[in-house]
Amino acid sequence: MDVIPSIDLLDGQVVRLLHGDFARVTAYGDPETVLDTLAVPRGSRLHVVDLEASRSGRPVETAIVRRLASRGLRIQAGGGIRSLADARTWIDAGAEKVVIGTVAADAPEVMQAIVGELGAERVIAAVDVRDGIVRVAGWEREATASLAEVLARVEELGIGEVLITDISKDGAMRGPSFALYRSLRTAMRIIASGGVSTMSDVVSLSRIQSVGACVIGRALLDGRIRLAEARTLVAAPNAIPERVIPCLDVRDGRVVKGVNFVDIRDAGDPVECAVLYESAGADELVILDISATDANRSTALDVVRHVSESLFIPLTVGGGVRTIEDFRALLRAGADRVAINTAAIRNPQLIADCAREFGVQAVVLSCDAKRAGDHFEAMVRGGRESSGVDAVEWCRRAEELGAGEILLTSVDRDGTNRGYDIELLRAVTSLVKIGVIASGGAGSVEHFRDAIEAGGARAVLAASLFHDRRLSIADVKQFLASEGIPVR
Amino acid sequence: MKTTLIDSPVANVANIARALRVAGAELEITRDTDIIANAPKLVLPGVGSFVAAMRWLTENKIDAAIHEAVTRGATLLGICVGHQLLFDRSHEMGTTPGLGLVRGEVRQYDGILPVPQIGWNRITARGPLFEGVENGVFYFVNSYAAVDAPDEIARADYGGPFTAAVQHQRVFGVQFHPEKSSGAGLRVLRNYIAWT
Repeated sequence: MDVIPSIDLLDGQVVRLLHGDFARVTAYGDPETVLDTLAVPRGSRLHVVDLEASRSGRPVETAIVRRLASRGLRIQAGGGIRSLADARTWIDAGAEKVVIGTVAADAPEVMQAIVGELGAERVIAAVDVRDGIVRVAGWEREATASLAEVLARVEELGIGEVLITDISKDGAMRGPSFALYRSLRTAMRIIASGGVSTMSDVVSLSRIQSVGACVIGRALLDGRIRLAEARTLVAAPNAIPERVIPCLDVRDGRVVKGVNFVDIRDAGDPVECAVLYESAGADELVILDISATDANRSTALDVVRHVSESLFIPLTVGGGVRTIEDFRALLRAGADRVAINTAAIRNPQLIADCAREFGVQAVVLSCDAKRAGDHFEAMVRGGRESSGVDAVEWCRRAEELGAGEILLTSVDRDGTNRGYDIELLRAVTSLVKIGVIASGGAGSVEHFRDAIEAGGARAVLAASLFHDRRLSIADVKQFLASEGIPVR
Repeated sequence: MKTTLIDSPVANVANIARALRVAGAELEITRDTDIIANAPKLVLPGVGSFVAAMRWLTENKIDAAIHEAVTRGATLLGICVGHQLLFDRSHEMGTTPGLGLVRGEVRQYDGILPVPQIGWNRITARGPLFEGVENGVFYFVNSYAAVDAPDEIARADYGGPFTAAVQHQRVFGVQFHPEKSSGAGLRVLRNYIAWT
């Protein structure tokens, strides 16, 4: 997949409009300076939108396109191209391709004339979509044709690339419309546009077969994504497998699972479950000792010892770890990694101390997050008590202190089977570099995909769903693989 | 043939012992330099810091015993930091010489992905150690690795290619944790035990 930087021009400056609103402008400076800052190399494709032209229908920024083309950039220019003359203006200015929106959707005969004159290879059809409906004329009105009709029409003209923008996502940093791109049936190369805001978004788009390129605007300008890094990541030949992790909630030596952490019921012997899960393809096992915060700890150590003796995959253990000695005891009992929760909130230094003593790879921050108005709060004591600490900020801090990974549980979603809290996941994964394990709410194979694809999680965890055999680990992995997400 | 596991305190010996036994090894676990020097088949485990692991080897003259065994024709498998110890040197916290049994150097990842690498990664391998799992997925925990080692027999990619395993004559090293790599890891250990 190609990663195409995108700039919007207004009055000779690089700008961004929020939701296409000319009253809400952020200016970034002159194009050359901006492109130098973004380190856009010679030979790169560059998406240029003339905002004045898209509003008035008259190309105005041709001089800039000429200058940039002479710097060896392969420019695709767009904005208000309504006629063959408009299109020719951009090509004459040095653009390699023109990006044509409104007439592609609304005036097939004009589109046909442009393609006939310039050649289909110089034309990219642009389709702006909101709620599945094509918008035209600077997003101001609905097109007469449906999305499927528009796509069929431009494909028939021999056009090979279609740029599809989800307007509701554009510039809002909420992530691209993965579902939209997955749903499209077209032989054309899709250029995804709108909402690409994290490195993980770029990787997720590259896994969707029909997506041949993505354009990135604001996230590059804001420094959230670095062009060279994004290109390196999507070019990596050996995509690293994402992990599927069953979780055993253990109380007094037995596996249990609560709905919203209450109404606990029995679901089996931990060693039996662990062995079963490894043979079923689990990439790792998590044991959370949910009795630990309340009751005695020696039973838990026995469970860890017995499970680790029968397991040949990594084992993470959490629950009631208060001191560096608790941490050490679990590692000695056979845990590869230990999750700290309540104690770390009360004493953040515990994370740093354990990381120094045992290595960052051994330290997992377990964060139970609960919605509180417009933010998430970190909960303590098994999700029962509020801590007053902002969950997202706490995760960022924990990375700084030396946590190697974050096990992020949505207390609101836990046990509901309504899906992981994607908003929570994005809030954390867009802020930290270390891996995040999504937890709480899995109910279908699509939920696992969404946590990785849209949420940016590097691992997906579920408990009751697997214990009750409503889904197998194989079901999840097969589905992820079929969606282009690498698994073991 | 007996397999001798070097009982390093800078390693997770219990887990590797268990995996070797399941893979069919008749195992002895020792720090005795005479036993190590005369062993036909050795396993050198290691986790954590290269410097600490190497210091333990030299302070206890295990390094000399390993060299003696290899000179006598012993087979050796280094695991994780044990694998890194086989190289000429490591650049972890300054530069520290290794055992020099395979050529090359160990350096910190300088790619764009978070360090340490914690997780599964697919390798591309060749040779008898990887028979049946040439494209297997293995579990890695490491911040340092060799890149383009001359004795490379397996490579993987973590924001750039790195050496996942080496072989120089009878000396093998694997950067991943076979004892945590489920069936694929046990297969590598079985292959090692069977190799003559």
